[in-house]
Amino acid sequence: MASKIVTFTLNGRETEVMVKPLTTLAKALREKLGFTATKCGCYEGNCGSCTVIVNGEPVLSCILPVEEVEGQNVLTLEGITPAEGLHPLQQAFHENFAIQCGFCSPGMLMVSKALLDKNPHPTQAEVAEAISGNLCRCTGYDPIIAAVLQVAAGSNGNQGGSHE
Amino acid sequence: MTTQAYFRPRSLAEALGLLDEHGPAMLVMAGGTLAMPLINKGVSRPEKVMGLRQAGLDYVRPVDGGVYIGAAAPLSRVRAESGVPLLAEAVKNVAGWAVQNIATAGGNLFAPPPAGDLAVALLALDAQVKLASLKRGERLVPLAEFFTGFLTNCLDPDELLVEIQVPKPAGKSVLLKYGRLYTNTPAIVSVAVRVVTENGRAKDVRIALSAVGPHPFRARQAEAALTGSSLDSSAIAAAASAAAAECEPHTDPIASAEYRRRMTGVFVQRALAQVAA
Ligand SMILES: Cc1cc2nc3c(=O)[nH]c(=O)nc-3n(C[C@H](O)[C@H](O)[C@H](O)COP(=O)(O)OP(=O)(O)OC[C@H]3O[C@@H](n4cnc5c(N)ncnc54)[C@H](O)[C@@H]3O)c2cc1C
Ligand code: FES
Ligand code: FES
Repeated sequence: MASKIVTFTLNGRETEVMVKPLTTLAKALREKLGFTATKCGCYEGNCGSCTVIVNGEPVLSCILPVEEVEGQNVLTLEGITPAEGLHPLQQAFHENFAIQCGFCSPGMLMVSKALLDKNPHPTQAEVAEAISGNLCRCTGYDPIIAAVLQVAAGSNGNQGGSHE
Repeated sequence: MTTQAYFRPRSLAEALGLLDEHGPAMLVMAGGTLAMPLINKGVSRPEKVMGLRQAGLDYVRPVDGGVYIGAAAPLSRVRAESGVPLLAEAVKNVAGWAVQNIATAGGNLFAPPPAGDLAVALLALDAQVKLASLKRGERLVPLAEFFTGFLTNCLDPDELLVEIQVPKPAGKSVLLKYGRLYTNTPAIVSVAVRVVTENGRAKDVRIALSAVGPHPFRARQAEAALTGSSLDSSAIAAAASAAAAECEPHTDPIASAEYRRRMTGVFVQRALAQVAA
């Protein structure tokens, strides 16, 4: 079957991409559209590094065919990173040493963003559950949880970002 | 990537028509959390794939204390909307948040062990599954009869799993999943039990197990051992050892068969003790 054009909103902007059948969202983002913040650690749903937000919900872009986001709202790390400076979550990850090699960070940031959007004041257990599908081989998770809780403590439910 | 076509039917009728037209050469996919990793790795190279996300099967419809779940309902929706606490608890124990958002209730019935954490709860709840084909229409099958072996079931090649029907749960139920971590962990064993008592005696007993056999199943001997008892500790111990005896665990990187068998006894005992408490 011929390639197909898929249209969706990417970080607030109407976007078109031409793909072969069953191309994943991760491949479309990284290889077709040049949005390489999204990382792929495993391509099998295990590591969470490819997590992006679709209509407010975290999903794994490595196992989601891009055709499934036709007409939907996709948010990647590029979309929450301001032109100048850092998103509050990025700032808190930085301050809490929640980033070492950084490979898990895009996924961790997106799932944390999705959590705080739904639940601005999560408990430690709720943060731990939210990030449980995201593997980090460096930090031991505690700094990541601390960073998310720090943002939650400092916010009134709105932690900025350009495309809520 | 060798896939030539990805179909996204907009209705069940269209999906059944596509299945009839293309037959087994077309891979059926719901959430894709099982199918896509195999395709990404090149282990599976389907020429045609049909995705069920748009086929109108993603509903979760509470009815009379029970619930009808569309086969392609995401697990996260089952968790939030079924109104059946045992199902919410089961989904909470499946993978992480992003997988729960993609994986479907129907897909869980096709997952090889140690997966099957929703299926085990559905077995304890006496769920039935609705299967449909274009030419022969629909049929309802008790979930316990759906599974026939490791990665096999009673679904015919021209059929789709359409709906899971859960009757209003009577009695008291408990689900325990034991893994190496507290969340996002493959099961060493998953246990779901439901007991209806009458005059202090166990009248109806369901003891369902997952990850300790070729597919999720009801431990009938354990159920029989408890039925009629007053849920005293010796009856519970007898049921637990019957479950440990009748399970057929396997060894994998998560646990040995022997350990799985021991833990089956331990967790059946714990689940029943919680029901009796
Ligand atoms: C990281 C990770 C962790 C996981 N952890 C768990 C866990 O803790 N517990 C657990 O139980 N599972 C777990 N799983 C397994 C799996 O995600 C779930 O079992 C899930 O419910 C499968 O559903 P799906 O819709 O994604 O399946 P799919 O990949 O869409 O379907 C797999 C196959 O099932 C068949 N199929 C699916 N739906 C239908 C239908 N309606 N009609 C006919 N055939 C159909 C098709 O042959 C299809 O190819 C995990 C998976 C991953 C990737
Ligand atoms: S790359 Fe998607 S989960 Fe690992
Ligand atoms: S910082 Fe290296 S994997 Fe998390």
